[in-house]
Amino acid sequence: MSDLDDFKATYFDECSELLTELEEQFAAIEAGERDRERLNAVFRAIHSIKGGAGAFGFSALVGFAHAYQTLLDFVRDGRVELTDDVVTLCIRANDIVADHVNAAQSGEDLPANYGAEEKARFDAIARGETNSEAADSGDSGDEGGEIVEDFDIDFTPVMVNLDDQHGRREAPVDDVFEASPVASVPEQWEVRFTPHRALYARANDPLLLFRELAALGQMQVRAHLGEVPPLSDFEPFAVYCAWEITLISPTLTEEAIREVFEFVDGDCDIVIARLGDAGAVAPVREAAEAPAAADAEMDLSSLLALTEDEMAQPAEFAAEPEAEPAGAQDQFEDAPGMSLAALADEIKPTVAPAPVKAAEPARPVASMPPAKAAAPAEGDDAGRGSVGVQSIRVDLDKVDRVVNMVGELVITQSMLTQQMDETLRARYTELVRGLEVLAQTTRGLQDSVMAIRAQPVKSVFSRMPRLVRELATKTSKKIKLETIGENTEIDKTVIEQLSDPLTHMIRNSADHGIEGPDKRLAAGKPETGTIRLSAEQAGGNILIVVEDDGAGINRERVLRLARDKGIVAPDITPTDEQIDQLIFAPGFSTAEAVSDISGRGVGMDVVLSNIKKIGGSVHVRSWTGKGCRMTLRLPLTLAVLDVMLVKVGDNPYVVPLSSIVETMQCSRAAFERVPSGGRVLQVRGEYVQVIDLGQRFGMVPANAPDDQFVVLCEAEGSQKVALVVDDIIGQQQVVIKSLEENFERVDGIAGGTILGDGNVALIVDVQGLRTTHIHQNAA
Amino acid sequence: MEALSLRDDIGDKSALAGQNTLQLIAFSIGEQTYGVEITTVREIRAWNGATPLPNTRAYVRGVINLRGTIVPIFDLRARFGDGQTSPTKNHVVVVMSVGDKWVGILVDAVSDILTVNRDEIHNVPEGNSIDTELLNGIVTHESRMVGLIDLHSVVMGAKMDA
Repeated sequence: MSDLDDFKATYFDECSELLTELEEQFAAIEAGERDRERLNAVFRAIHSIKGGAGAFGFSALVGFAHAYQTLLDFVRDGRVELTDDVVTLCIRANDIVADHVNAAQSGEDLPANYGAEEKARFDAIARGETNSEAADSGDSGDEGGEIVEDFDIDFTPVMVNLDDQHGRREAPVDDVFEASPVASVPEQWEVRFTPHRALYARANDPLLLFRELAALGQMQVRAHLGEVPPLSDFEPFAVYCAWEITLISPTLTEEAIREVFEFVDGDCDIVIARLGDAGAVAPVREAAEAPAAADAEMDLSSLLALTEDEMAQPAEFAAEPEAEPAGAQDQFEDAPGMSLAALADEIKPTVAPAPVKAAEPARPVASMPPAKAAAPAEGDDAGRGSVGVQSIRVDLDKVDRVVNMVGELVITQSMLTQQMDETLRARYTELVRGLEVLAQTTRGLQDSVMAIRAQPVKSVFSRMPRLVRELATKTSKKIKLETIGENTEIDKTVIEQLSDPLTHMIRNSADHGIEGPDKRLAAGKPETGTIRLSAEQAGGNILIVVEDDGAGINRERVLRLARDKGIVAPDITPTDEQIDQLIFAPGFSTAEAVSDISGRGVGMDVVLSNIKKIGGSVHVRSWTGKGCRMTLRLPLTLAVLDVMLVKVGDNPYVVPLSSIVETMQCSRAAFERVPSGGRVLQVRGEYVQVIDLGQRFGMVPANAPDDQFVVLCEAEGSQKVALVVDDIIGQQQVVIKSLEENFERVDGIAGGTILGDGNVALIVDVQGLRTTHIHQNAA
Repeated sequence: MEALSLRDDIGDKSALAGQNTLQLIAFSIGEQTYGVEITTVREIRAWNGATPLPNTRAYVRGVINLRGTIVPIFDLRARFGDGQTSPTKNHVVVVMSVGDKWVGILVDAVSDILTVNRDEIHNVPEGNSIDTELLNGIVTHESRMVGLIDLHSVVMGAKMDA
């Protein structure tokens, strides 16, 4: 039972990846990239979702996915043109598939007829378009750059001279191009396809595979019904049927054929052979038929048993090609007595370009069980080249453990380095060198571990188009979403925390920012509003920007509401920027505020608190009538931070290096008073807000020398703030630890860290200090 | 290490003891003895200073590093309103788990491990709400009164005051 649960969990993991892939592909397709590869990817994704759903008995999902897949299939083989309408329908279908998957995962029931309308439209489109098939297939031929052959067409075998083919391959490239595709010698491929029970159990339909094959070239299919038993012996779940397919196409490669069978990999036996000479087809057919008839059930175990029995026979055949390397056809002619699996291994080598090479792989076949030999070969060949990068799925907990340990290692390493004072350095040069190497290795290790957890923001961004579509429908607005920089990588834990805030921000933009079409036209803007979502790396931070070209924040109303709620005192007049920022003020966005505000304010304090939780900050900038921009600044990783260690009172504090502009020493007299009672400092002609950390943190001031150390930091929106500290100790790397884990959030503190001496130092929350300061002044 | 062996010892005892008994770690604050249920205690450490947290209540002494985790330390004397402890090396931090959080309380000394009968736990006399809030009950041990600390109130109360 728990095994099944594990499989299910894996299946849902895969589904969420596949759904992400669907969003991506359709984003591209919507943008006009209507190439075959994308369609194939979509088809594959739906197919995989359907396959798993079948295995787990999610029949509603299977039903819908099947109908969707049929439509996709028609699009793929050109019977249905990929118009904008069809694309829209497909996007809607993706959403429905996602809903079905979610429902299956949560165990909830969707309405019985959910998606029925779309399903009906698939059928209608499929039916409607098949009538005008000729015209359509012509069109799609232009689009896809591929000649689409009808599935039912019979073909006449063409005699092909093998020598000619070799000659052609060796010919100069120019010659190949001169020859027109039709005139060139077509390749003839023989595919033997024997499904296992598992293939049907996963809800795969051989018909769809044949359709795909048919798209590759001229096709002839022969079914093997010889092993179908009398009805009295018929076992409903057994597999009695196998097929032989002959394909002829000038451009066909083994890879293309393998790709068709990609999803059923492992659930069936596939033997692919290129037949240079049409005459060779007949013997193979006989050879395949003989053993197939012998065993009634073609599942893997019986096949294995079979091949073991017949081990001796392949050995004889394997010896031959060695002596006679060019005799590929000879093998086929000698084949009749061979078992199917042995045949698979015999035929496979012949697809290698040179006959001499073909003989070599044949040799191990003789000395080891054929099934084993076949498995790795299939794995290598089976069109996996498109994947490129190999990956493994690892439990995030395991990675987290490594990350934590590396964090501790970093601390220990920096502690050791700190312990080395000058006298020790002079005395133990070897030790110092060792420590330097350790430092380098640690840094490298740390970077590598972080890279493991880094993920493109795509996985979050790709959920947003759907959100925008839904919002647009709900609000009857026209909204377009643009995404930029979706390949920017961030730590996985950051990404997980990003989804909610982003959803809030986009919902805000769509709901409150973008105006209705009429209003937009009246304001001289295009009818369709645009939300731009972008991600970029800026130093040690990631900037995520949600920008819209809507009406902007209605500052009057925001201010009025803030005054009503006592967030801003009546006698204070905040700057425009401060008003914009007010939408993040806790308590500002209550339920009443939602309907009351035409600007923003829905759950924005949630955004702020979520982002703060992961050490980030939010800044909003609005232009009345023109739009609004919200910027999220996030740390690249949650685990390690470059900081400057400072001293306030007797206690160490750390300030994130990413926010520090410069450090300086200046006299107390340089601080000027402003009416609010605060102080400012002039730095190169710019007045900067001063925050005395000692005073702020309620520390007993040290003997307050006239000269003060100042750390000049940049908060959001390029606003600078000068932190007054008692001493600047130095830079180092620290591992961020949460205060909330065992305690609670503390104002002005972003978290804690453990120093080399084992003591805890607190991380200064620069943005937090600045905003609480504004609120304090305002109150 | 000492703390660990101590706990193993206790584990055996509690296995022998019936369901109706309760094992307490007793500690002193001034002249008074208080106790917490032994199962909540994770570790007993000597006071080694804490990093003060700005802008928190007076009885939050700060945070310490407990093998890589940041744990807040509450000054129990200050929590009872008797002013902050002036800790020395002889003062003790009792690290406990409260809900899913780990917290430490600063006490003068750990005095004993007591096995008490649940039936012998008396209610805290009504009167001062601070007493009833911070104590779960009172037991007598060798003619001395031991107050049973309500950890949740000590720690969570800190949150509500914020």
